[in-house]
Amino acid sequence: MAPVKCISFFAGDFLTQLNIPIESTTLANGLRVVVSPDRAAPVATVGVYYNIGFRIEPRGRSGFAHLFEHMMFQGSANAGKMVHIKLINSSGGVLNGSTHYDVTNYYESVPSNALERVLWLEADRMRALKVDDENLRNQRDVVKEEVRVNVLNQPYGGFPWLDMPPVAYRNWANAHNFYGDFDDLDAATLEDVQKFFETYYAPSNAVLLILGDVDMDEGFKLAERHFASIPSGPAPAPADIDEPPQIEERRGIVEEKFGTLPGVAIGYQAPRRLTPEWYAAAMLDHALHGGRAGRVYRRMVLERQIAVDADGGIHYPVGDLFDYNGPTLMVTRMLYKPEYSADQTIAAYDEILDEMKQKGLTAEELDPIKVKFRSNYFSNLEGGSSIPHYGLMHLLACFSLFDNEPRLVNTILGGFMDVTPEAVQSVAQKLLTRPNRSIVIRQPAKKGAA
Amino acid sequence: MATAPLSDTNTTVPALTQERPVIWPARVRTTLSNGLEIVLVQSHTIPKFNGQLFFRSGNAMTSATSPGIADMTATVARTGTTARSSRQIEEDLRRMGADLSTGAGADTSAVSFSGLVDFSNELLGLVAELTQHASFPADEFERERRQLVEGLKIERTTPGFLASERLRRVLFGAHPYGTISPTEAQAEAYRLDELKDFYSRYYRPGNALLVMVGDFEPQAMLAQVEKSFGSWANAPVEDAPNPALPALKGRKVYLVHLPGSVQTQVSVANRAITRKHPDWLKLTLANSIYGGAFNSRLVMNIREDKGYTYSPRSGAHSLRQHGYFSIGAAVRNDVVAATLKEIFYEIDRMRTEAVGESELADARNYMTGVFSLGLATQDGLSGQLATSTLERLPDDYLETYRERVLKLTAADVLDASQKYFDSANAQVVIVGDRTQIESQAAQYGAPEIYDAQGNHL
Repeated sequence: MAPVKCISFFAGDFLTQLNIPIESTTLANGLRVVVSPDRAAPVATVGVYYNIGFRIEPRGRSGFAHLFEHMMFQGSANAGKMVHIKLINSSGGVLNGSTHYDVTNYYESVPSNALERVLWLEADRMRALKVDDENLRNQRDVVKEEVRVNVLNQPYGGFPWLDMPPVAYRNWANAHNFYGDFDDLDAATLEDVQKFFETYYAPSNAVLLILGDVDMDEGFKLAERHFASIPSGPAPAPADIDEPPQIEERRGIVEEKFGTLPGVAIGYQAPRRLTPEWYAAAMLDHALHGGRAGRVYRRMVLERQIAVDADGGIHYPVGDLFDYNGPTLMVTRMLYKPEYSADQTIAAYDEILDEMKQKGLTAEELDPIKVKFRSNYFSNLEGGSSIPHYGLMHLLACFSLFDNEPRLVNTILGGFMDVTPEAVQSVAQKLLTRPNRSIVIRQPAKKGAA
Repeated sequence: MATAPLSDTNTTVPALTQERPVIWPARVRTTLSNGLEIVLVQSHTIPKFNGQLFFRSGNAMTSATSPGIADMTATVARTGTTARSSRQIEEDLRRMGADLSTGAGADTSAVSFSGLVDFSNELLGLVAELTQHASFPADEFERERRQLVEGLKIERTTPGFLASERLRRVLFGAHPYGTISPTEAQAEAYRLDELKDFYSRYYRPGNALLVMVGDFEPQAMLAQVEKSFGSWANAPVEDAPNPALPALKGRKVYLVHLPGSVQTQVSVANRAITRKHPDWLKLTLANSIYGGAFNSRLVMNIREDKGYTYSPRSGAHSLRQHGYFSIGAAVRNDVVAATLKEIFYEIDRMRTEAVGESELADARNYMTGVFSLGLATQDGLSGQLATSTLERLPDDYLETYRERVLKLTAADVLDASQKYFDSANAQVVIVGDRTQIESQAAQYGAPEIYDAQGNHL
């Protein structure tokens, strides 16, 4: 087969309709399969996404979805502990997994001559996990060090991704500590592991993605060969992740143990995915948080110089616009100078939002935002340098599991490009209200340098 | 758990099929009459391109007098030109769908940029302006300096930063590589004329390399580059200083006291070689067996067997003049001594036992495979080309990389381990709460203790 250019475009100045080859099917056991060939380089990327994230882990088992993700590397029926990792690395590939709000993924990127081996490994652990108490003890220890290195022993660790949920939400599913209280991690048993696997890791609750150096037909043939014999299981009962309507501003204060500057994070309940408001909110978000040209950074850091850093986004900072399927926030995160108070900082920030609500933005401001949004979208498709096509894989998976249509990857840009300045102003007026927001302040335990 | 009857398809690991060769994209390499080196490569994965404009002068140039000036120069250079204000620059970048960042390491200063190909001409024009006509506005400088000072205060509470800072000081002493950051006082004392001086001396075409990868036709892009950079005047540039290095004899332990730490950052290092050294590939292969990959010995030992840590890693690091080998792991406070024991155990095993054929073959495959993955995206390709060109490696370095790795033997790994892994003279840095780890550290030598500000306690 001749090399296929990954992305080609229909005519027109604003290229919004992509033509990435994408085909999908569902196996008899309910597993969805998506294949997207790109023969430009001799490498293939495989992902298996399960429709389970840390929102709906069991009560009394905070952090379990992530701990379970670690257990998926500890051994399956025909590939014991370390065999997954050894087989992928020794084939010249890399692998990892990650737990998100609404999905958990496992992925490998390999020279394409190892593609079938990767599929075999993923099928083996979808069919039957084979782990013991010793594996669980070991990974519980590893996960605790992960929490320490990323959160407990770092300045601003977990700010605001772990600080915000308990302030902003009332449903435990959305509000609990996703990395896990250590008592809950300690309480987890092997029985919990098997039960979680049986409940959430059935083929019908997953999508398999094969990208890169593979022929379309061959991709589906390989998927059938390795995954079709996995027994189907019942779909998990739908979980309640709804939030009661928020009617007043919520605030919380968290002590900053190491860092020297105070921080503030402000989050507004964001629209549901794929609604007209969602497209407009994405443009609003970009107008506010689009790097150094965004209004928040420009005003707070560059002009008024109250903050020394400012960033934000929808489903920020541990997710993005496309990978949530339940309540989430548009968050702004700032570290500000100690000579300002939290109230002064928030007041200056509010001026930016008030101006947006009152005056909106002009077409002259919105058009460049659309150009940049499009440009970011292309970069995201290509993925990081170590996992080619990671971003494309992630989008295909979320569109498959949440929206049942992976080809949205090719058409979704159009919805953003059609957003009008009026729609942005309107969504700003609706979202950016005090009763719709939550604020977390990180207050340093000690002032200035030690 | 219910399982279906298993066929051979289910129980047998599929063999690797025939490998498809890496296809090397067309590459244009040339030098303009003013000395600017250029590498241009087509990659049509997305309708974008990225570029890096390097200057072969970094923080090492001023390390003895004012550390970090190269970085501050690069930071302020993006905030104004003779034709554009800071705000105009940021808005123009957004209009072009572009990202741009500036910064400096020890050996280089760089402007990195990416954007839609439709705007490549304009973006190149802006990069040319930033690197030839920066205006260094005083108010922008003052703001950036304050942001830097606040950032430095936070870095002094970050275990990873404190470990790197002490490690580099121990390995390289008064050599520029021994200093990775200015102190707060040094940053407060920066003057705008130091930045302007650095800029006018070192932002010169004969000191520069432009690497661009993307969805363009190289000859057409070359014409655009000529237009933006052809008239840039050259001037001679001096080399970075290279003072003598401290003698490192015997194992030595340093403890950086970070009160309240609930984990300890353990680092072990010794000086090694640069990428230009003939042993470099041998060393990187030995590293990947020791601790440079997920299935490496150290990760299997202290993570997958003992559960001491989440992210242990070792690496061979190449700076322009010198290199070093380091091992790092963030571990539970009560297993600091136990971790050091395993780190040294695995080093000594690498130095005394030849690696078996299957472990060797696995490691070679890992290196060649990861190399191929790194060529499959514009960013990855650009990084590989930048490294090989900046370090003036042979023209065919990338093309021959895989075959050279596949020729390495168990004897090569043993030789590299004996030369460059060194438990007897290892420099050990641990960052954590002294009250919990000092006695453990002492098992490996009387620790020299510092606070987070760098004061000897």
